[in-house]
Amino acid sequence: MKDFKIPELGENISSATVIKVLVKAGDTIELDQPVLELETDKATIEVPSDVSGKIIEIKIKDGDVVTIGQVIFSVEFTEVIAQNAVSASAGTTPVIEPVAELNAGSVDVPQKTATVPTEQDFLLPELGENITTATIIKILVAVGGTVEIDQSVLELETDKATIEVPSTVTGRVTEVLVNEGDVIPVGAVVFKVSANVEAQVQVSAALQTTASVVQTPIITEEKVETFTPVNNVPAESPKVILVDNQPPVLLNAAPAAPSVRRLAREIGVDVNQVKGSGPGGRILLDDVKAYSKALHQQRNEMQHIRVEQHQEPLPDFTKFGEVESQPMSNIRYKTAEHLSYAWHTIPHVTQFDKADITALEEFRKNYAKTAEKQGVKLTVTAILVKIIASALKKFPQFNASVDMQTKEIIYKKYFNIGIAVDTEFGLIVPVIKNAEKLNVIDISKEINQLAERARTKKASIADMQGGCFTITNLGGIGGTAFTPIINAPEVAILGISKGNIEPVYINGKFEPRTMLPLSLSYDHRVIDGADGIRFLRWVIDAIENPMKFIIEG
Amino acid sequence: MSQNIVVIGGGPGGYAAAFYAADLGMNVTLVDLEKNPGGVCLYRGCIPSKALLHVAKLINEAKDAKEWGVDFGEPQIDIDKLRGFKNKVVNKLTGGLGILSKQRKINFVQGRAKFISSDMIEVSKSDSSTEQIRFDKAIIATGSVIATIPALQIDSPRLLNSTTALDLPAIPKSLLVVGGGYIGLELGSVYAALGTKVSVVEFMDRLLPGADQDLVSHLQKRISASFDKIMLQSKVVEMKEVADGLTVKIENKDKQIEEQHYDYVLMSIGRKPQTAGLGLENTRVQVNERGWVIADNTLKTNDDNIYAIGDIVGEPMLAHKASHEGRVAVDAISGKKVVFEPLAIPAVVFTDPEIAWAGITENQANAKGIKFELAKFPWAASGRATTLDRSDGLTKLIIDPETERILGIGICGPGAGELIAEGVLAIEMGATVKDLALTIHPHPTLSETLMEAAELFYGHSSHIYKPAKH
Repeated sequence: MKDFKIPELGENISSATVIKVLVKAGDTIELDQPVLELETDKATIEVPSDVSGKIIEIKIKDGDVVTIGQVIFSVEFTEVIAQNAVSASAGTTPVIEPVAELNAGSVDVPQKTATVPTEQDFLLPELGENITTATIIKILVAVGGTVEIDQSVLELETDKATIEVPSTVTGRVTEVLVNEGDVIPVGAVVFKVSANVEAQVQVSAALQTTASVVQTPIITEEKVETFTPVNNVPAESPKVILVDNQPPVLLNAAPAAPSVRRLAREIGVDVNQVKGSGPGGRILLDDVKAYSKALHQQRNEMQHIRVEQHQEPLPDFTKFGEVESQPMSNIRYKTAEHLSYAWHTIPHVTQFDKADITALEEFRKNYAKTAEKQGVKLTVTAILVKIIASALKKFPQFNASVDMQTKEIIYKKYFNIGIAVDTEFGLIVPVIKNAEKLNVIDISKEINQLAERARTKKASIADMQGGCFTITNLGGIGGTAFTPIINAPEVAILGISKGNIEPVYINGKFEPRTMLPLSLSYDHRVIDGADGIRFLRWVIDAIENPMKFIIEG
Repeated sequence: MSQNIVVIGGGPGGYAAAFYAADLGMNVTLVDLEKNPGGVCLYRGCIPSKALLHVAKLINEAKDAKEWGVDFGEPQIDIDKLRGFKNKVVNKLTGGLGILSKQRKINFVQGRAKFISSDMIEVSKSDSSTEQIRFDKAIIATGSVIATIPALQIDSPRLLNSTTALDLPAIPKSLLVVGGGYIGLELGSVYAALGTKVSVVEFMDRLLPGADQDLVSHLQKRISASFDKIMLQSKVVEMKEVADGLTVKIENKDKQIEEQHYDYVLMSIGRKPQTAGLGLENTRVQVNERGWVIADNTLKTNDDNIYAIGDIVGEPMLAHKASHEGRVAVDAISGKKVVFEPLAIPAVVFTDPEIAWAGITENQANAKGIKFELAKFPWAASGRATTLDRSDGLTKLIIDPETERILGIGICGPGAGELIAEGVLAIEMGATVKDLALTIHPHPTLSETLMEAAELFYGHSSHIYKPAKH
């Protein structure tokens, strides 16, 4: 992809008015082909293109004022030519960032098929004047789920705005005939429902659909700020007031053209909430569209609490070398979402320390055969599961979750420890239930079984749920320390790095001791720094003085 | 399957709704008492009155032409031929609507409709047969009827209302117009031009109570010359038929009663909703205490199947409001998310000079405490007005001082009714004074007065020297 930007137009000219755009989206243009007619302070000029290829989208229109360096359109399959003298060097930042394009190339029109009498079709309804097709951003229903009238079933991007489409049918979804990313016409069959509604919980669309690669156009921070929707505040809407026998006066009516008001209503935007960018605060079509997008984005964030929505547009990597795009696996996508959420919402602190495991390692070596007879390998992880279960009893704030909405901290009276397991298809965290009731041999057996199930894809959802605290051991590979991300809604995680023999100054001389680096990340909202190190010291003490642990823990 | 729509009433609201619904592919039945669609507007209102006002204007201009060196002499008026011209206009337009209705395959039923349930009407036809029609949605567009004062309602052919006055029963020697609203003043102007001595009695302290006084004053000055007498703050307390006319007792603000003799009297005190005999009691439609049908902003009544548009849902009782409402109602029925939300509904009084306004009036702004600034351009400074020998005009803008957005426009002068359309567009588009000032207007036309009023706001009108105060 290559952008066409406004070139230098002459001395002291920083902006120009677009008199006429001579090309349109979809056109294939050649080098030096005139693409714009501009009016500057000094003259009216035709601007030739310095790129060639198919125009994806034109970001300006007749009458706009453009600045030198502003991106006017992007072309695909361009031959990049050497930048000549007229092409832009430095320029002002465009207000709207280049937008990742939706693939509008393949139009997949589902055909209406013969319907079974008990079935009902949901057709893509009229979306507004002159809107004949729309791109599906997200399908909010899934086969087997139930829909009700007015329930949102599709997220669409039309020429005009991003909108949610409510259902006009009710029933159980038997078939979905469209895919995310499809461009479908008004009247197309989107899904079929059976009238026999079964009480069935609708599976969230996010879980059902594989990670979609559709990118929502991004509005820059500046824009979002300008159009921050305040839809929660029931603003005073204009009332029709009759004065005698006079035509009604719409007090405080937004200054928007009738067509703009009509569009706003069609796409569910209260035009009175939109801040107009035109003279005298006039609300332009673009203002409504931008507001709708911002509103949509905000709603997305609130629904999915995904903060990573604010993605920066990716550069065109092919400029730098060969690349290959692969779809994210479901686990990878969920991991990305989950960890982004944890990272954005939890104020993390990571506390480092080391435990002297010389004695422990000696014991492990001596006990190895005994353990083997019971069919297990005695591991540091298993021992730490036991110790952590006790530590959670001593430090209940580490066995908690935070509910910021109700302003409550939830303390758990059970002690389930998750263990991060590296599998070929990604990171998963099986949970050892009621670890405080198990001895280390039992824990080892449990870990083995869970890890095996995870690696063979046989782990159940239940195996992964209910954790209170997670242990992640990277010591088998190496490392001196790391900063693990807390597995929300838990409040702490213990990272284990590789144990090393180090000189430790004991009783007036250096002695070789095996030291195990531990990294404890905790949620600073509920755990104070002093408690963080107290917890870690307690764990280290238990490792170093097992007798004390047996007596006290 | 397309919806079955019944529209009751074929006026400008009803036929606009019916035609649009048919265009959207609905099965439409249009019920009206007349042979063709048209309603009061075409048969007994806007259209015939404008045909006569056109003639009145011609008579007045011919009179004025003496001053310009052209004397046509006294007009010879053939009242039957004049009536024939008016009827021809009406028949041409209503006949045209009948054809447009047929072309759209609308089932036009002539008769009186009555609801017998929320999904059925019964139409009584002139041959006393009845027909029942089932509907998915109905639109009530039965409009309004002439309001009367029962105490003054005597049975005399000399007591006219707006309908009978349009039939030109005679050219009376003298005529009393009761009510200084737009209907009375328009019809009074027609008769005055035809040679009748016209007097007006108005209860309020001014003519055209809705319009701003600065617009009305030019009209008042002109009709004071062409009319016999304008009695403000006065009312008719008694009326009697005598051999050669009507004697009328008029009480002024000092409670003094004066008896006057008139050839004819025209009652034009207003209009009221036409709900009688509609069978609304068989539906869930509700009316308010003044008789207007209650509808929401999509024009839906309390009955989910029934919409109501036009005069029957209240002021302003204007044809263009009704037809816009009709289209909104049909859009709403077709499932579109629409409401009736105009920023301006133009009002036009087709007197000479015409008065037209849109958006907020100065009166309303004052009453509502809305901050505004005025820009007034007198037509004495307009080249075009001078060529017409008509400097008795005014174009004014009501402006939001903060945003410089145009909130309202008022125009007085010949052709004000045509000129106001630009103002309506400006208000609907949220135009600022600057927009109006920077829009090139053709010279020499009266439309320049809008631009010059806008320029005046900034203190640079070419044809008025008035330095900017800011």
